[in-house]
Amino acid sequence: MFKPIKEMMRVGNATTKYPFAPLERPEGARGKPEHDSANCIACAACAVACPPNAIQMVVDPKGGTIMWFINYGRCIFCGRCEEVCPTKCIKLSREFELAVMDKNDLEETCTYPLQKCSQCGKYFASAKEVAYAGDILEQQAENDEEAKRARELLSVCPTCKQKADAYRAKRRVDTVGDPTPDPTPEQMDEARKQADKNKAERRKEARF
Amino acid sequence: MTIVDRPLPDRLQYKPEKIELDESVKKAKAALLNDIKRSVYIYRCDLGGCNGCEIEIFATITPVFDAERFGIKNTPSPRHADILVYTGAVTRPMRVPALRAYHGAPDPKLVISYGACGCTGGIFHDNYCVWGGTDRILPVDVYIPGCPPTPAQTIYGFAMALGLLGQKLHHKDIVEDGSVKAQLRFADVPYKVRTTLEREARLYSGYRIGQDLSDEFMEALERDGSVFANINDLIAAQSDSRKAEVFRKLRGDLEDMVVTPEQQEAQLKKGLERVVPHGDQPDATTQAILRGAGVQ
Repeated sequence: MFKPIKEMMRVGNATTKYPFAPLERPEGARGKPEHDSANCIACAACAVACPPNAIQMVVDPKGGTIMWFINYGRCIFCGRCEEVCPTKCIKLSREFELAVMDKNDLEETCTYPLQKCSQCGKYFASAKEVAYAGDILEQQAENDEEAKRARELLSVCPTCKQKADAYRAKRRVDTVGDPTPDPTPEQMDEARKQADKNKAERRKEARF
Repeated sequence: MTIVDRPLPDRLQYKPEKIELDESVKKAKAALLNDIKRSVYIYRCDLGGCNGCEIEIFATITPVFDAERFGIKNTPSPRHADILVYTGAVTRPMRVPALRAYHGAPDPKLVISYGACGCTGGIFHDNYCVWGGTDRILPVDVYIPGCPPTPAQTIYGFAMALGLLGQKLHHKDIVEDGSVKAQLRFADVPYKVRTTLEREARLYSGYRIGQDLSDEFMEALERDGSVFANINDLIAAQSDSRKAEVFRKLRGDLEDMVVTPEQQEAQLKKGLERVVPHGDQPDATTQAILRGAGVQ
């Protein structure tokens, strides 16, 4: 009769004390993704990587803001956001007590300003992202002049850069001449003949 | 906020009708939510899930987590249920069983949305045959997110429904004015060295762990004192031989990237030989460069 009681004493109580005592979760347990808003550059890498679109970015080009948005109710805790984050501002914590009574409480947003183009005045990228890229370029620059120039060019939007390149190319054509002029009719005939010849040779090879 | 919804034309979207509660039922339910002074029976309803949630519910009633110590008991019929647990993303054919279970349970009853799919549709939220969440058709009281929710998460959700624990997560709207700059990670390590080490570490031991290992390695690089001495200390301190192996490989990669003054000179000479072939007299500019480099 004492045998089972003895066995019970030996084995002890296997049930966890949770929820009456805090639960210890092991190292590497995947819980709520914690977002460090100060270190985030709003680059949207996490939004691109997120398989269920729990993280999304909402751009307001008129108001000049970009909003980072997460829905913990949709998150599958895969940790892709953590992997791709360039500043490591998003980390999966061990926090697991995420149940809510109101669905709205599952959502979190963080709004960041956008960078204005110094030439056309349009918003084109997150201001913090541009500043971060500037820091990296400064780190790589060989001298102060190069760093300064990189900083100046950073606040120009891609459209304006393309326009500037096009104008420069046009100026070169106007002053120096066309570096790749259109072929003359004779050159075109020659090229066509060569192509036909190549084709015939390929056919010959294929036959044998 | 409904920013997750795509603006499709209304005629293309089916709008499921949500069940609205009577005032009297609402009152009874509010009283029930605050404190249930009896054991509750739950009925589990799968609306097109992957069965991950079911496995975790089963894990919750095992002796380790033992949900039955709160009087929670699984019942095979909705007629006996106080709490209805809905898992899955609510597929179109499963709406009928969902409603039958709901109407079969006696009032007042609590509805729990279980798992990421039950809460919002989860990874299937934009599937064509999915309605995306239990709350599209039923009045939900507690949402338990997770994919699947662990037994601890499940117990927390049930404890909240039973009024044992309070809610921890709250809606947050943060507005940054951009005055706080993002910190550059390992600013003292040259950019190319940092990216190369990160890439190699990820190749050696996977994306997630590789990142952690390269971080540890670069912390050693940034420490005061001789770089290679620090790295050797780091390798010697590792008890895990796999980690030490990765660090040794990273040290090899770093050694490849280090250029000694002799190597630099040899490279310069090689480059100049290409510019000025042997036997030719270099022009004035090249001569100046050669003199600057200390090459005669």
